[in-house]
Amino acid sequence: MAGFGASKHLSAHALPTRIAAVATHLPDRVLSNDELAALYPAWPAAKILDKTGILERRVAAEGETATDLAFHAAEKLFATGAVAREDVDFLILCTQAPDHFLPTSACVLQHRLGLPTSTGALDINLGCSGFVYGLSLAAGLIAGNMAGNVLLLTADTYSKFIHPQDKSVRTLFGDGAAATLVTKEPEGGTASIGPFVFGTDGAGAGDLIVEAGASRLPRSAETGLEAEDAAGNVRSRDHLYMNGGAVLNFSLREVPRAVAKLMEQAGTTAADYDRFVLHQANKFMLDALSKKLDVPALKVSRHFERIGNTVSSTIPFVLEREIAEGTCSPGTRMMLVGFGVGLSWAATSITL
Amino acid sequence: MSEFYEGLAEILEVDEAEVTPERELGENWDSLAIVSTIALIDDVYDVQVRPEKLAECKTVGDVEALVEAHRSESGDA
Repeated sequence: MAGFGASKHLSAHALPTRIAAVATHLPDRVLSNDELAALYPAWPAAKILDKTGILERRVAAEGETATDLAFHAAEKLFATGAVAREDVDFLILCTQAPDHFLPTSACVLQHRLGLPTSTGALDINLGCSGFVYGLSLAAGLIAGNMAGNVLLLTADTYSKFIHPQDKSVRTLFGDGAAATLVTKEPEGGTASIGPFVFGTDGAGAGDLIVEAGASRLPRSAETGLEAEDAAGNVRSRDHLYMNGGAVLNFSLREVPRAVAKLMEQAGTTAADYDRFVLHQANKFMLDALSKKLDVPALKVSRHFERIGNTVSSTIPFVLEREIAEGTCSPGTRMMLVGFGVGLSWAATSITL
Repeated sequence: MSEFYEGLAEILEVDEAEVTPERELGENWDSLAIVSTIALIDDVYDVQVRPEKLAECKTVGDVEALVEAHRSESGDA
């Protein structure tokens, strides 16, 4: 085990907690590459697939919110019998598309899901790093004896922020939600969550942003003015903007550092991990990062072809599928790495 | 520069033999090509160049000069 300094000592612990169950939910509407290619003459469907690795993504219906998607994911989790509603001690919702400025969407969901009024509930506003941050809060609440069962919901509907004529982001992002149950691991058990590595660089806030619509810049006729960029993409300040090159540079710089730091703190090497679950940004990003991290391609999870980049839900979507397929099972050691909007990143080791 | 030219040929959708310093980047030099080139340069030279600097490049030689400038700084863009 590494770690002599106070901060290293604190973070070097694997917490006796476990991911006990995962369920996901996708909206019904499918947005295919053929449909997108009809809008973007320069990008045939085959090129979209080749560059992004994405065949289709899901889009929430009008009036269907991230909270609705999170609700359905949670209902699916309850339907598995993994936990009874009355045994949920804490609800964490990670979203960047809350129903209202206030109240907190997690509070609305506590009632809608029929959770006891003794449930603690809060929202966290993070994007692609959100699942790992949520996991750290859940594991911390449990390890600190403040909760026994934490329901971690991740949900986003970026499609509602995206201009239909902005191929730079519309080809990549998909709507979706996941429900993850985090519980206490009994004494003598082998499952664990942690240590964690965190990082933030707010200097890159403008690299992935919906600038208008909240307090700093309320929506107005001016913010809604549309403009076409050099690549022919159309958007206004009310829409999602991504500086793809800057986000790639950030990811190539910070993800390998976070991975190295995590292994140092955990006292592990790459060979100790059965699976590497990086945020599923797109094929291009995963190819570049896999190469840079120098880990066997077969150990790097990939699950985006039919759902796109579902922001904070990409990692639980992988977990759900790999548990169902048997790729992951009790004892499997995994590294989870989230990174993106903020700019924000986090990495952790888990043993199922 | 052969690994670099090979990758650049793929990005520009031309034969590798056509990739020379004088080669104009042309119409295919869009945001996707720039992002792809950032990944290529990072992979081959382990340096990071800024997307807005790449967007200003007109020829393959301009891109090479940008890479050289960053390599001599041996740091992030």
